[in-house]
Amino acid sequence: MAKSDDTCILQGPLVFGNVVIGMCGIALTAECIFFVSDPHGLYPLLEATENDDIYAAAWIGIFVGFALFALSILGIVGVIKSNRTLLLVYIILMLITYAFEMASCITAATHRDFLTPNLFLKQMLERYQKSETVNNNDKWMAEGVTKTWDKLMLQNQCCGVRGPSDWQEYMSAFRITHSDADFPWPRNCCVMDAQGSPVNLDGCKLGVPGYYNSNGCYDAISGPMNTHAWGVAWFGFAILCWTFCVLFGTMFYWSRIEY
Amino acid sequence: PAPPALLPYVPRVPPAALPGKLTATTFALERPCCVFDRHANASDTVWLAVAFANASAAFRNPPSRADVPPYEQLPTAHSYMTLETAAATYACSASSPAVLRVGGDTLCGGQGGRDPCNGPLPSPGPYRVKFLVMGCHGPKAETRWSDPILLRRAGSPSTIDPAPVRHGSDVVVIASILASLGAVLAVAVLCATGAEAWGSLCHQDSGTGAFARRSYRTHHIPPALPQPLPPGCRCSPPGLGCFAPRPPGPCPAK
Repeated sequence: MAKSDDTCILQGPLVFGNVVIGMCGIALTAECIFFVSDPHGLYPLLEATENDDIYAAAWIGIFVGFALFALSILGIVGVIKSNRTLLLVYIILMLITYAFEMASCITAATHRDFLTPNLFLKQMLERYQKSETVNNNDKWMAEGVTKTWDKLMLQNQCCGVRGPSDWQEYMSAFRITHSDADFPWPRNCCVMDAQGSPVNLDGCKLGVPGYYNSNGCYDAISGPMNTHAWGVAWFGFAILCWTFCVLFGTMFYWSRIEY
Repeated sequence: PAPPALLPYVPRVPPAALPGKLTATTFALERPCCVFDRHANASDTVWLAVAFANASAAFRNPPSRADVPPYEQLPTAHSYMTLETAAATYACSASSPAVLRVGGDTLCGGQGGRDPCNGPLPSPGPYRVKFLVMGCHGPKAETRWSDPILLRRAGSPSTIDPAPVRHGSDVVVIASILASLGAVLAVAVLCATGAEAWGSLCHQDSGTGAFARRSYRTHHIPPALPQPLPPGCRCSPPGLGCFAPRPPGPCPAK
């Protein structure tokens, strides 16, 4: 098969481009597996908002990353052999993968914006320690939210979304079962000793500094979720920009190689 | 008996920023220090009188300990007395927490619990409080009424609006750039394959399409080599065959 000079020059950069795509694909898969594994245990909060699309975006990212890796190998083989069929298959499959990754990026970026403090506040007030659950699904979500918040408040030394006053400003499911006089805010908002009981219960109930957690938990929630969403969205965006160039070059290469 | 001495002290909610000083059913008061020392002796007790703000003027000091209005009478009598403590607790030298919490005891009240009950307040108020020093023969001293204390009223969580204020600019950037890149790619692929297909349809023999350039494998037909003349032939110009005197044998094919 005869080759012109153009194609000879293009081969090097295209192989390099495909190598980078392959490595980025593996990195994307690893990153998305990390996010899906939910190391901070915040998934029950998202599940209860019925808006866990950033997790869907991460799942798509896992498969897209793997597809990018496989296709990059196909691309390298196709470019080196200058085989039009292989390269056509490569281009078409890459376009499909491109479309999926676009969907994943845009979903992650868009749905991150829905995770506002008010969303978590409303959910916390309505579900934390909710005792009169309507059905199994409701019960499951309430248990998830309760366990997650208890763990959050204990581990991050925080209380409520913006602060302990959240529990005072609004009625809540918690308030129905726990009297305001005994529990102005949940016990986990108190500073605990090594055995897991409050250091000074009366001080905690009054809000004496040093005996209760005065800061809100929103930072502890939004930090990992932001990392998750932006990690998927921006890294995917970077990969897609690079893939665009490589695909363009491959299409040009494909059209110039002769039978 | 002489009317109780009126002390100039005004009870108040502590000015410190304590988030729990006013809740829906409790409130905190600054501990009066060094206020009752001149008027109380060791056997006297200091009570806290709590009344609805509009009923404080109608409050009458109880003549003896037996007439102290209990916590359960708050809805009907619009006042009660609680926090019975020894006067020595409020002495100058006593070191004790700087804050008193009214309404913090959820176990008393109801089924004949022990008096006095420091039970949670049933409504947001507003309330007014004053301290009353009770001796063996009745009230000995009282402070002024406090300013009205209004407790918290909790709102409903359904008023919380979880919708985001506006989409971040990041989303717009990502979405617009990706969409345009994707569109460019799709158009490029369509052009490339379209031109290819058009080229192969319209220029089947002499393909000189813009993108497609076919290479022709030329099939090499070797020209026939001149055969050596058979021995009996008289020469004629080569290539014309041979004229043999004998009946012709198989002549070499051209």
